[in-house]
Amino acid sequence: MLLSIVIFLPLLGVIAIALLRGMGASAIKGIALAIGLLTFAISLGLYTGFDATTAELQFEEKLAWIPGLGTSYHLGIDGISLWLVLLTTFLTPVCILAAWNSVEKGLSGFMMSLLALETGMLGVFCALDLFLFFVFWESMLIPMYFLIGIWGGERRIYATVKFVLYTMAGSALMLVGILTLYFQNGNSFELTTLYAKAGGFEHSHLLFLAFFIAFAIKVPLFPFHTWLPDAHVEAPTAGSVILAGVLLKMGTYGIVRFCLPLFPEAVTHFTPLIVTLAVIGIIYGALVAMVQPDLKKLVAYSSVSHLGFVILGLFAKNPEGIQGSVLQMLNHGLSTGALFLLVGMIYERRHSRMIADFGGLAKQMPIFASIFMVVTLSSIGLPPLNGFVGEFMILLGSFLTDAFSKWYVVFAATGVILAAIYMLWMFQRVMFGTLDKTNAALPDLNAREVVVLLPILLFIVWIGVYPKPFLNRMEKSVGLVVTQVRQETAPAMGHAEKQSLRDSELVLREGQSETHASKTDLQQTQRARHEMSEGTSHLGVYAAKRRYSGRSDLPIATPYHK
Amino acid sequence: MPIEINWQLLMPELVIALTLIIVLIFDMFDSISKTILGWLTIVGAGIALWVSIQMQQAGTVGTQFNDMFKVDSFSLFFNIIFLISTILVALISLSYLGKDDRKQGPYYLLILLATLGMMLMAAGNELIVVFLGLELMSLSLYVLAGYFRDNPVSSEAGMKYLLLGAFASAFFLYGIALIYGGAGTTSIPGIASNLTAESQSPLLLGGMFLLIVGFGFKVAIVPFHQWAPDVYEGAPTTIAAFISAGPKAAGFAAFLRIFMEALPAMQSQWGDVIILLAMLTMTVGNVIAIAQTNIKRMLAYSSIAHAGYVLIGLAAANNEGISSVMLYLLVYCVMNIGAFGAVILAKTTDGECLTISDYAGLGFRKPLLGLFMTLMLLSLAGFPPTAGFVGKFYIFKSAVQAGHTWLVIIGAINTAISAFYYLRVVVTMYMREPEEELEFSPYPSTLVVGLILAVIGVLFIGILPSLLLNSVQNSVL
Repeated sequence: MLLSIVIFLPLLGVIAIALLRGMGASAIKGIALAIGLLTFAISLGLYTGFDATTAELQFEEKLAWIPGLGTSYHLGIDGISLWLVLLTTFLTPVCILAAWNSVEKGLSGFMMSLLALETGMLGVFCALDLFLFFVFWESMLIPMYFLIGIWGGERRIYATVKFVLYTMAGSALMLVGILTLYFQNGNSFELTTLYAKAGGFEHSHLLFLAFFIAFAIKVPLFPFHTWLPDAHVEAPTAGSVILAGVLLKMGTYGIVRFCLPLFPEAVTHFTPLIVTLAVIGIIYGALVAMVQPDLKKLVAYSSVSHLGFVILGLFAKNPEGIQGSVLQMLNHGLSTGALFLLVGMIYERRHSRMIADFGGLAKQMPIFASIFMVVTLSSIGLPPLNGFVGEFMILLGSFLTDAFSKWYVVFAATGVILAAIYMLWMFQRVMFGTLDKTNAALPDLNAREVVVLLPILLFIVWIGVYPKPFLNRMEKSVGLVVTQVRQETAPAMGHAEKQSLRDSELVLREGQSETHASKTDLQQTQRARHEMSEGTSHLGVYAAKRRYSGRSDLPIATPYHK
Repeated sequence: MPIEINWQLLMPELVIALTLIIVLIFDMFDSISKTILGWLTIVGAGIALWVSIQMQQAGTVGTQFNDMFKVDSFSLFFNIIFLISTILVALISLSYLGKDDRKQGPYYLLILLATLGMMLMAAGNELIVVFLGLELMSLSLYVLAGYFRDNPVSSEAGMKYLLLGAFASAFFLYGIALIYGGAGTTSIPGIASNLTAESQSPLLLGGMFLLIVGFGFKVAIVPFHQWAPDVYEGAPTTIAAFISAGPKAAGFAAFLRIFMEALPAMQSQWGDVIILLAMLTMTVGNVIAIAQTNIKRMLAYSSIAHAGYVLIGLAAANNEGISSVMLYLLVYCVMNIGAFGAVILAKTTDGECLTISDYAGLGFRKPLLGLFMTLMLLSLAGFPPTAGFVGKFYIFKSAVQAGHTWLVIIGAINTAISAFYYLRVVVTMYMREPEEELEFSPYPSTLVVGLILAVIGVLFIGILPSLLLNSVQNSVL
């Protein structure tokens, strides 16, 4: 029940605001903030109740929903989605608080959109049924569309329509992919049974692309990124924060959840292409960011660069790379979110985002400047802040991997240097130098703004100094993804075999083995996990083949050290 | 041979016929307020709807009049679609017609006649009966389209509809004649049993294509769609809603009945034609809709595009395909009538707002109207969690099952295209400032009730479609 409560509580807030909209601005803001905080508080129960010693799906809920379509209401989280759920519930109240005074028209609509958006995003991270996933994936578009289109900047309509059309074009292909998988999955949208059949799908390359393109648009991977700067620049501050913080992660999450485990062979096939695009994205994003005169655009392009790192780490296909990527998703959500908040705060004061309009702010706004400094350093990836841990693990993982050449890493690493250049240069131009007359009266951050930023700073430092609580909760789940994506050499199954597999799975499902694992299999897995955590042998790790269906007689994966 | 009449089997049709007579009689007396006629129509259609649902639940099957008239769960399900459309249209018409007494009587009479015609089409087990139903429906609609005689646009719409519709009927009739020549009978089961995969004469082939042309006109499939935008634009908005909903469903009902039951042996011939028509219809409908500035014309092209989606399900030609078509038609009728209802709701003191730019700023000034319109358009665009999404998803699913993956890809891309023009109205409503202040009339309560029913339908089917889905899946031919 906990997951359902977390997902649908914001929707309840939407209804409450819709009914009480006549009550005045402060009441609406109060309700929205209370719902946002309550959701976050309840979602902490997911953190405390999470069992880090297993890769099993946790907090599972399964109800028959539309049997006629073969879909069920199936939710659950693992160590990867846990963090994204928490990031979402954390950033939403932050955004509500950040938008406290900046929304003039249609306040109730703004808060309703923000909360509805939260429901959609949480649903995406928790859905274990492809149909349910798609429903959340699409329905989250509408509130975002309103957020950018109504409360955005000058070119908001262009930006919002572009955003929706890009996403819809991607999801149109994904829909076809989902339907094709449905029939190959014995007429079910169930993700767990799909995992059991991973690697054995017909047309797996096309299916992989159908999913990957949808996610790549969302990430956005170069060359699908052109909607992002427009959307970011035109969106209101809260919209930018959610967009950078959570929405982009839906793309990378989709890759971890669907593309990697389901189509291991296609992953290998397309890795060179994707990694090349990721590296181009890293360097291109950084170079374009460097020449931006607009603060918000600079941060937007830096996102393209940062997300390139995340993709690189994911396709390294080893624990270091994927863990680093998942952690970097969090980091990027925090630091880029904070950057957008800061840019929004300065914009509210000065009504300009042009770097050239500023200079010497450090003297005038010392609190602002110091917080900005910390966030900038976090974004660059300076130890001991969060960005360093994530980027280091990604680069380490991609250096160790056999999935692609080390040259990619060499080029990607220049992205780190470029990031330092464009961020510090920007900081220098905004904060140091002579203070212009027009900026001489700008007030420093007020208490509310500091309250908005402090929790983010806390996590920025925490992850940087002591990332263990974050890493150990995702470790098992990432390990599972690694074994899944490494099972590429599993022989393609013949038709008869596939049929028998399908039948046995049906029996299994009817028997409702909620844990999806037989006892012996579980023990086997745990033994393998133990080996892995001891770090004794990389060979042993990947031999541990774990399938959700609980079948132990399936082909064993080949270790990746050939 | 004496004809045994099983009255129970004919119950829904009889109720409508009875209502029709009552409306006719009430219209004769000047002392009776004519607004009651609309309510009579709603009550009559409501009773017929209730009877149809009961019969559908009970699984009633039977034939009547020497096997010419067939009642089964398929025809009953379509009855439900027609009657829901009729009720919704009557609800949104109550305020639209205004207080003018002379306008009321024939209007509701013709709506009921058209409904009866549709029910005949869905239940026809004989090509001649289908044709009778088609004509009964079409003739009533020709009059309705030109119902506002003093308005030249409306008269033009009626005339255009009559001319092109008459052509289509002629094609259809000619097709029946040729099929009779090829198969030796006009009875649908008879044709099926006389046909084998080998016995394909040019007569049959020609007849079949003429039938497709005739149906194509009636349900507005590209390239037989030219009449639709003009008629929708000129006809009274309530009638545009009516034409776009029930008659389209009736056309597809007869289409399914004839092609799936009488001509399954020739599927290899008509299957590819349908796929081609589906691609054309979706793409042309959606692309031209982008260029429209009049909201009624935009909805006309959108309804053409929706016929294209329905054809995807038809092309699948399996049980899933048929049931997805039935579900989609129901969903489509509700949301399309809802969209037209929202257009009627946006009424200024000078008349209706028909240019899309008139809707600027409406979302904030008329929140209820904005909400209705947005929901209906999102459903038409196929966003979850609305009924439009479930319907479209189900159609795509049946097509993937039939192996038409490419058709689904084109359909899915079309969905993205359609989102552009549906959302443009939403953009105008919420994101643009109005150029001039328009004076809006207060909301008529019956119209609001009709729209609330549509909203409930769209959300309910969108979130919990199970019940309906089971019923649909049990109603295939």
